[in-house]
Amino acid sequence: MKILIIEDEKELAENIATYLKGESYVCEFASTYHDAISKTGIYDYDCILLDLMLPDGDGLKILEALRKENKQDGVIIISAKDAIEDKITGLKLGADDYLPKPFHLSELGARIYSIIRRKHFGSTNSIQVNELNVDLLAKTVRVNNLLVQLTKKEFELLLFLLGNKNKTISTAALAEHLSGDMADMLDNYDFVYSHVKNLKKKLTEAGCKNYIKTTYGMGYKWEA
Amino acid sequence: MNRLLNKTLLYYSFFATVILLLSAPFIYWTMEKLYKDDVDEAILLRRDEFETNNRKSLHISDIPVWNQFNRDTRILPDTVKTSPKDSIIQQVFYDALVPEWEPYRVLYKDVAIEGKPFVLMIRLNLVESDDLIRTIVWIYIGILFVLLLVIFFITLFVSNRLWKPFYDTLHKIEQFNIELHNAPGFSHTKVTEFSQLNSRLTKLIQHSLQSYVTQKTFTQNASHELQTPLAVFQSKLDLLLQDNSLRKDQVIILHSLYESVSRLTRINKNLLLLAKIENNQFADVSSVRVNDIIKEVIPYFTEQAESKKLTIEMDFKNIISLNANKVLAEIMINNLLLNAIRHNIENGEIIIKLEANSLSIANTGAEKALDGHTVFERFRKNSTDARSSGLGLAIAKEICDRNSWEISYSFKASVHIFTIAF
Repeated sequence: MKILIIEDEKELAENIATYLKGESYVCEFASTYHDAISKTGIYDYDCILLDLMLPDGDGLKILEALRKENKQDGVIIISAKDAIEDKITGLKLGADDYLPKPFHLSELGARIYSIIRRKHFGSTNSIQVNELNVDLLAKTVRVNNLLVQLTKKEFELLLFLLGNKNKTISTAALAEHLSGDMADMLDNYDFVYSHVKNLKKKLTEAGCKNYIKTTYGMGYKWEA
Repeated sequence: MNRLLNKTLLYYSFFATVILLLSAPFIYWTMEKLYKDDVDEAILLRRDEFETNNRKSLHISDIPVWNQFNRDTRILPDTVKTSPKDSIIQQVFYDALVPEWEPYRVLYKDVAIEGKPFVLMIRLNLVESDDLIRTIVWIYIGILFVLLLVIFFITLFVSNRLWKPFYDTLHKIEQFNIELHNAPGFSHTKVTEFSQLNSRLTKLIQHSLQSYVTQKTFTQNASHELQTPLAVFQSKLDLLLQDNSLRKDQVIILHSLYESVSRLTRINKNLLLLAKIENNQFADVSSVRVNDIIKEVIPYFTEQAESKKLTIEMDFKNIISLNANKVLAEIMINNLLLNAIRHNIENGEIIIKLEANSLSIANTGAEKALDGHTVFERFRKNSTDARSSGLGLAIAKEICDRNSWEISYSFKASVHIFTIAF
């Protein structure tokens, strides 16, 4: 999977690349508008991470150019400007997602994962991990073909973990992911613990191996 | 408070009355003096007439007859020892006709008739003159009074006209609100002082507006600029977390770094939000039902409330519909609810009440009232909770102010209550 990181803050771009490297992702960089335009013009990417504020141009123009050429690269806008207008214009122009800075790498990982799955697997979008099957469209989970009833939050949690396989995810990132718009306000992450506990319990009871590992005091990891 | 005009008129009336009162005796005295001088002159004239026309031709035997026909120019025997002689004095005589004692101007003068000494007495009654003087004084005072009255109204009229530009300016300044950016346009005036005042004010206002805008954009820019380093910080932590060789004590450090960065992020986002509210970036207004918002957001908080075993009670006596920005209304209610949860105690309680025209959120908590004046100030933290950004209530207050809602804090029966009157 090829990913283009259009970001003028080199440090951040490298961090993102380092985080994503472990999976089957190959990351390329573009730190200027022109660089980005020429790269997107030549190559196709599975996912493009797009910073809107570039030193020599507006990131939205890149998005416009992409869509004009009918390129179907998945685009996630990562912006320091958490302005609703930017978000709306971005999504209108055909961005697949919008992630305001600062963000957790695990959140980014989950979103990239979800976009790539959507782009590549379209209608038959399901994830198979050994005995576990997750149908992303029907939002159902099966273990050895047996349906497991999960709550909405537990399902989201499972997807988030699967999107960051073999990565330790901080409790804060999980909490913010699960609480959506309210994320900025939360200061108590205790509820994450109970959701994880319930998910683990339901999966193992259905006969699934325990893939969810707890890292001491820090967070959780899907090990498979 | 007194209006400037009233004050002017008050002073004016006071001094006018004093002048009127002081001038009345003066006028009376002057008039009387003038009249007496006149009378005295007449007496002296009669004396001269007597000397030239009568004295030489007068015989002693004629004196009784003379005296009989001249009541006011008499010839008295030398035995009359009235002093002083040759100067006019004031005396009272009994007038049997009126009958009254009446004032006279009198001149006694030694005269010789047929070589024999006599005393000539010439007198003139002042009664008539007194009446005249009084009449004149009254007329004079009357005229003066009318004049003062006329001047009073002229002053009133003129002042009103003269100060009009001033009041105009004053009115416009009162309307001025730095947050609304409505710099007043002062009307042109030909009076130097007022025109000076207006131009100075215009400059001052421009200046304030400029620094206000600068300050606001500064906050916003600073917050934006902070987002990227924060993102780098956060991503580094996420990378560090992937290191499987971390020792337990290192993980503890990492954990506290996580907390710090998430707090920084929160503060930064809230500052940005405040700046956005102040910059009117939430302008679109629609009809919003408070009841619906509360019902929508409550589920998000139940998880937070559960960890403290709080009971949330809702008492909706009314449906409140507002004309406001939905996002802001939500943020305000979120902040108040979060505040009620954060500062609550284990097994505590939250009561959300919707009355006729107000929303109140009450929570159990510390057994001590907060300072109602400072509780809404930025970074004024009343608790030692390190996780709070110190901006939640300031944001709620800002949103209320924007919408002209009244937010207040009270502490009754161990319960902290935040009330918003719409």
